[in-house]
Amino acid sequence: MKKILLVEDDKSLSLLYQEELTREGYEVVLAADAESALELVRSGGFNLIITDIRMPGKDGIELISSIMGMRKDIPIIINTAYQSYKGDFMTWAADAYLIKSSSLEELKLKIRELLGE
Amino acid sequence: MITSYRMQPANFNLEIPKELVLLSIIAQSFFQPFSLEDNLLVILTALTSGAGIGFNRATLFLSEGDKLKATMWLGPRSPEEAEAIWTMLSSPGLGYAEIVEHNRELVSRLLPDLQPKLKALEYNLEDEDLKFPAAAARDKEIVLVTGAGGDPKVDRRFLDFVQVDEFLCLPLVARNEIMGEIVVDNAITRAPITSRDIELASLCALLAGNYIHTTRLYKKVLEMEKMAALGEMAAFISHQLRNPIVAIGGFTRQLVNQPCNPDKCQRNLKIIQDEIKHLEEIIFRMSHFLRIKIKELVPIDYRPILLGIKDRPDIKVKSAGKTVTISLPENNSLILCDPVYFEEALVNLLDNALDVTPPGGRVYIRACQRNKKWVTITVKDSGPGLDEKSQEKMFSPFFSTKESGLGLGLLFVRRVLESCGGKVEVRSKPGRGTMFKLYFLSRERGSL
Repeated sequence: MKKILLVEDDKSLSLLYQEELTREGYEVVLAADAESALELVRSGGFNLIITDIRMPGKDGIELISSIMGMRKDIPIIINTAYQSYKGDFMTWAADAYLIKSSSLEELKLKIRELLGE
Repeated sequence: MITSYRMQPANFNLEIPKELVLLSIIAQSFFQPFSLEDNLLVILTALTSGAGIGFNRATLFLSEGDKLKATMWLGPRSPEEAEAIWTMLSSPGLGYAEIVEHNRELVSRLLPDLQPKLKALEYNLEDEDLKFPAAAARDKEIVLVTGAGGDPKVDRRFLDFVQVDEFLCLPLVARNEIMGEIVVDNAITRAPITSRDIELASLCALLAGNYIHTTRLYKKVLEMEKMAALGEMAAFISHQLRNPIVAIGGFTRQLVNQPCNPDKCQRNLKIIQDEIKHLEEIIFRMSHFLRIKIKELVPIDYRPILLGIKDRPDIKVKSAGKTVTISLPENNSLILCDPVYFEEALVNLLDNALDVTPPGGRVYIRACQRNKKWVTITVKDSGPGLDEKSQEKMFSPFFSTKESGLGLGLLFVRRVLESCGGKVEVRSKPGRGTMFKLYFLSRERGSL
């Protein structure tokens, strides 16, 4: 089973994404902030990472650069409420930039695409 | 030995060159918190006063896009008025500041009468048939017009207004852009305009042009700051609202599209209900935040308010298992603030402090009469403290270290303090807790 790390500080959204992606047949591990996400990445085994940008503590952009420093082979999807970070060139390091939507179709599609399914 | 001098000498040494007198008069006015109009009036005063160049009258035009519009006029309207004004102004001991004051009064007295006439003096700088005085601004050239009455290149409306045959056009230019024009004349004394007058006047025009330019730039910067703040606000609102809306939408879709057992249905509905409540709260707090406006500062006794905060139900719940210590100074002076905003600002800080203080930890609130001017109120927590990066960002809107924080609390505190003449200081170190020190203006009991 493909394993996805979801970094999201909003509780309701974490639950929603976890349920929906589990239904799609993925194993979803949750992290509420960048620090715990990095711990999890270090322990390994993820096929894909989905992260928000604005979070307490380290933000998603810093998280991406830390992950890139550790391993470059895990695809990363930015899933955020902000359009404005698209201009930040660090977000270009991610494989996709999605704006949060109550329809998860685009996210699911992107995941399938990046996992080569 | 320590000797003090006035920063703005009232009188000038008669020996020094006129250029320095003019520069000094104008520089001193820029030093004051004057408006654009006031500072331009100072320049007109420098052009017309005896201590300055001594022209009889001055007309000021300002550029507005392609237009050049007459906006201010300074000087007597008749020989009689001139006599009265100049006698008054040459009374001994009168400093330039008094003259400016007098001129300000004169301009506002003349304005109702002059306004319609000035309004009619508007030129389009793109106009091919542009006449003097406006043509001087277009050409960015100082122009002395003599024999104006018979010259077809001079605008009749302007001549009807000034009723004079000789006048000097001083374009106001900065960075090669036309800012305006000043026209001076000697309509009352009929004294010819000399080349020395023109030399001195050009100096004033140079300063006026650059001053208008700087003021306009400053206005633009303020506008841009406002726009940037608006942009940030819009981004913030979209984020704050999008998360709950996505959650509501997502869980609603599950209810509509997927078979749900009663427990899950109930759970989804509960989440939707909570998120809607969250949305309402965001809207309430934002509108509340935007409304801060202290109309009238009143001396308030902050002691009972501080002591009362501890007993507020919301604070009581949060402070369970933690200690809140409040210490007050001996004397009973008052502070200038609004009682409601004061309480809310303190509740905000205490609420933050309790959030980061671990169980068993302490929060101190200490009021202190620093000196005659300030009362400080310090709120110190025993939390983890903040790193430099968070300290830098802590007062910027929408920055929060809390999961559900809106990032408006500290900004609110600062806005309250600023609007009552005080300030906020923060000291924090990782591992050592955070301390907020609020400075309030102190007032003795019984005085205002």
